[in-house]
Amino acid sequence: MKVSYMWLSEYVDLDDLSPQALADRLTKAGLAVDGVESRNQGVEGVVVGEVLSVEKHPDAERLNVCAVDAGTGEILQIVCGAPNVRAGIRVPVALVGAKLPGDVKIKRAKLRGVESNGMLCSAAELGLDTRLLPAHQTTGLYILPEGTPIGTDIVSLLQLDDAVLDVDLTPNRSDCLSIRGFAYEVAAILKRPTTFPTTVDSLESDGPSPLTVRLETDGCSRYDAQVLEGIASKPSPLWMQMRLMAMGIRSIDLVVDITNYVMLEWGQPLHAFDADTIADSTIVVRQAREGEVLVTLDGQSRTLTGDMIVIADPDKAIGLAGVMGGENSEISGTTKRVVIESAQFAGRAIRRTGQRLGLRSEAQQRFEKGIDPSAVRNALARATELLVRLAGAQPIGSMVTAHRGDLPATATTSVRFSPDACRVSLGLDISDADMAGILASLGFVVTMHSDDWTVQVPSRRPDVVLQADLVEEVARLYGYDNIPSTHLVLPITPGMRDGRQRLIEQVKDVLVGIGLYEVRSYAFTSPEALRPMGMNESQPPIPLMHPMSDERGVLRTHLLPSLAEIAKHNLAHRVDGGAIFEVGRTYLADALPLTKQPIEREQFALLWFGETGESLREKSRPYDFYDAKGAIERVLAALGVKATFVRLELTWLHPGRSARIVVGDEEIGVIGEIHPAIANDMGVPGGIYAELDVQPLVKHRTMDVTVEPLPKFPGSRRDIALLVQQEVPVGELLETIEMSAASSGILTGVQVFDVYMGQGIPEGHKSVAIALHFQDSERTLTDEEIEDTVQLVVTSAAVAHGAQLRS
Amino acid sequence: MDFEALDVELNGLRETALKRLGEVGDTRSLADWRVEYMGKKSAISTLSKQMGSLSAEDRPKFGQRMNEVRQALETAFAARQAELERIEQAKRLAAETIDVTLPGRRVPMGAIHPISRVIRDIEEVFLGMGFSIVDGPEVETDHYNFELLNLPKDHPARDMQDTFYLTEELLLRTHTSPMQVRTMERMRGEVPIKVIVPGRVYRRDEDDATHSHAFTQIEGLVVDRGVRMSDLKGTLETFAKALFGPNQQVRLRPSYFPFTEPSTEVDVICVHCQGDGCRVCKGTGWIEILGAGMVHPRVLDMSGYDSQVYSGFAFGMGPERIAMLKYGISDIRLMYQNDLRFLSQFTGV
Repeated sequence: MKVSYMWLSEYVDLDDLSPQALADRLTKAGLAVDGVESRNQGVEGVVVGEVLSVEKHPDAERLNVCAVDAGTGEILQIVCGAPNVRAGIRVPVALVGAKLPGDVKIKRAKLRGVESNGMLCSAAELGLDTRLLPAHQTTGLYILPEGTPIGTDIVSLLQLDDAVLDVDLTPNRSDCLSIRGFAYEVAAILKRPTTFPTTVDSLESDGPSPLTVRLETDGCSRYDAQVLEGIASKPSPLWMQMRLMAMGIRSIDLVVDITNYVMLEWGQPLHAFDADTIADSTIVVRQAREGEVLVTLDGQSRTLTGDMIVIADPDKAIGLAGVMGGENSEISGTTKRVVIESAQFAGRAIRRTGQRLGLRSEAQQRFEKGIDPSAVRNALARATELLVRLAGAQPIGSMVTAHRGDLPATATTSVRFSPDACRVSLGLDISDADMAGILASLGFVVTMHSDDWTVQVPSRRPDVVLQADLVEEVARLYGYDNIPSTHLVLPITPGMRDGRQRLIEQVKDVLVGIGLYEVRSYAFTSPEALRPMGMNESQPPIPLMHPMSDERGVLRTHLLPSLAEIAKHNLAHRVDGGAIFEVGRTYLADALPLTKQPIEREQFALLWFGETGESLREKSRPYDFYDAKGAIERVLAALGVKATFVRLELTWLHPGRSARIVVGDEEIGVIGEIHPAIANDMGVPGGIYAELDVQPLVKHRTMDVTVEPLPKFPGSRRDIALLVQQEVPVGELLETIEMSAASSGILTGVQVFDVYMGQGIPEGHKSVAIALHFQDSERTLTDEEIEDTVQLVVTSAAVAHGAQLRS
Repeated sequence: MDFEALDVELNGLRETALKRLGEVGDTRSLADWRVEYMGKKSAISTLSKQMGSLSAEDRPKFGQRMNEVRQALETAFAARQAELERIEQAKRLAAETIDVTLPGRRVPMGAIHPISRVIRDIEEVFLGMGFSIVDGPEVETDHYNFELLNLPKDHPARDMQDTFYLTEELLLRTHTSPMQVRTMERMRGEVPIKVIVPGRVYRRDEDDATHSHAFTQIEGLVVDRGVRMSDLKGTLETFAKALFGPNQQVRLRPSYFPFTEPSTEVDVICVHCQGDGCRVCKGTGWIEILGAGMVHPRVLDMSGYDSQVYSGFAFGMGPERIAMLKYGISDIRLMYQNDLRFLSQFTGV
């Protein structure tokens, strides 16, 4: 909301308060002022002048030499290039020595040999926002109204000495969407009275209105209208144009400007219809018919829905209530009689209509936030007054009023208020008198009975309905700065992470500790990104209703594409490679379209991409499966989770280099090299991907440790080398060995320390070197029993895997 | 031979031996010296064999002298040996000198993401004050995201948060505030409630240097009997001091959120200029870091806490903004690009 300081100062005394000082006070009271802008962008020494004569420049096709009377006591010769210059017009004249916006200084000059003593100005040259001027004023010289006194300083004429406050109004303060409403607030903040003109002259004539109004919907609680005739079509006066401009509203013509001016003054949107386009002189306010078509003022043909409200006559819709008028009832230069509408429409319906049609008018914003019912009639009277005074209009008959149900007897809401409760809830020691004073300054009427007050809140403040609302009014006007800092007086509570939260933090620390970087990526992706993995079929992603782009049209069902995209970005920026992880969610729908909240599956996703990078003692090498597996093993060890890795084939992982991570019968994650064909299809580099589900880790993690006593007797180690076929998984071989010696109770550790293929090993075989650790807690083991167990191990390996002992 | 003559000879041998010992330069020559002066074939051994020629009276005297000399040589030998070993070890170590300025064997570096770092820091502060942490769904219902927070359908304040809808009823939460309601429902009227809720939220904003369609929030909620607005101020002051330093202060400015009343924006002293006024704080000396307020009575009532009996406060802040302030990050998108050249700057946080 843009607020004219000058206009405001008519209603509240701002004498000793600069615009910036006012802005600071407002911000402190909750009306955040984003900026204060002077309307004068640097105009100085510009006055009104009359062009007395215009002659062609002898040497320049497009230039004219003008004689100008600018009230300086002499006739100025000024060269002018504007096409609309002509004798008799009054225009802004920048005299020699004048300043214009953009640090322009006007000097005496010669243009193609002809002396020029100043400059005739356009609106843009004066720093005016031409988007807010009537169309005919936007180019060429800024032609001022006839009779504008010669010599008048343009700064005062155009109210350039005004300042505009840009107020970031919160949506609850609909009352401040008008200068009058704003003035009430400022008066309360400054503890000064408002100085409104006492009454609005009632200029309606006696006798019945020629207009009939029928309300056929609850979407309109009140509809007032006044018919007027004899309206002169002309621009509005300069002062009105400037006020509109200051408040960011474009000047159109006198009638429209008056409706907008009154809206800014009272907060009540008005609309003007051409009365002669209304059939039977009857206005019907009703719900739109489904599919009904209305061409709105902007020339757009709108197809309406049943929940919209239209202004209609018995034959047709003539306007979209509260949003935009219809083209068929638009006033024009030939309009003889107008109907001015001042009505109250239901905010919700207006809001929905605007959203459906993509419209967002000033009127609509006011209706949807709620307007003051007491302004309906006053605003209409004020518009009538201005039309009579400025447009020479004559009212026909009195105002017509239609309403749904009874009009409320009083325009106030009664709210009960406990001053004690207020003090307690703020933690603030404030006196009854101070509270009462604040509420009174807002124009609220306070009746004090010990601790049970009654506060009458005027209808312009629909946001105040509860004790808490009054507490806020007291607090913000007393000053939030005055609220002390205290400490909560509550029972002691343990501040602890739960198991899941602790696990996540712990795993993150482990991963960071072993050299991974945490990343955070977006949850939105595209079906295209998920397609190569076959995710769109196996787990169709949830689409957004109105995505901002195709690349971010669905919720991710897998974390790999996000991480792969990060890998791609990094490799494209000359990073050798790296190891990254994310704690992220995937969003898994039971069925589409979605009928309930989807499963949000929380996972650790990890990716190793590119190369390790060169260092002094190590050559760079591509990351491989075992880098990833080592990290996963480290994480599982940190959590005390015992998992096995089982070969797995997934379409999107390398068929020979991928595994399921299994605890008991439960799969808790996968690990593997990204299938090169999939990586290629995704347009990302390959890498090793792993994921672990958070929930099963929480379930399987062990926190309890029971310490085993340290051995008292020496242990023994025997190394064996077993020759097996290459396909035999070493993990299974080790498992067989452990199982076979379990009954002996002395084999306490099995560790592979070399896998060898090549010279001396038969084709298709490998030699697996294994260390066997023997230990007994009760005694020193004999060579015989160790040898027996080694034999048992070798025999079992031979039976289960065809292993041969290498000598 | 008489005692005196032998004693003179013995002293001479001692003198010679000690002199030569002083000249021994390494442990190998030291071993030779030992054989020469203290071995079985040494001159002293030879001399000791002449003891038999002494009188019975002189024999023990000479034996004692002999022992004294042997003892002296033994002591001198041990001292010399220790000294030589020390010298030789020093030589050896000198030869083992390496270039300590070469880099160490590489241990891979990792780092926690700056947003996570900030979230963790904030969590630690509130955990210390006895708050618990709760998490909630990112896909929310309109009911929890808006209606139970006093934002009925078609309420104009819904414009404050442009929303990604999945269906008419399901949406991506625009704030972590629905967890206020879910927490109160879960607590079923129990008090005190002291929770914070970190999590991802979504709004239909075009991504630019300061906006992101996806970002994180940390919500806070306290409910009990007699919770005051001054408690909110005190709690946030404690928080600000813990996070930004002991000289911090908070400033409250009236504002509006549909689910709190009274509502406030909360500023802290600019972390950049310490309040002097700079580009970051636009010269005001203050920066806004969170929104807060007293839980709206309607929200309490709708969540099963009688607003006549209970009160509470709530606050919400953006870890991205705090990370940007703390680490001088000028563009929020950097935090979602995950460039390792960016992330590797956080190994020390």
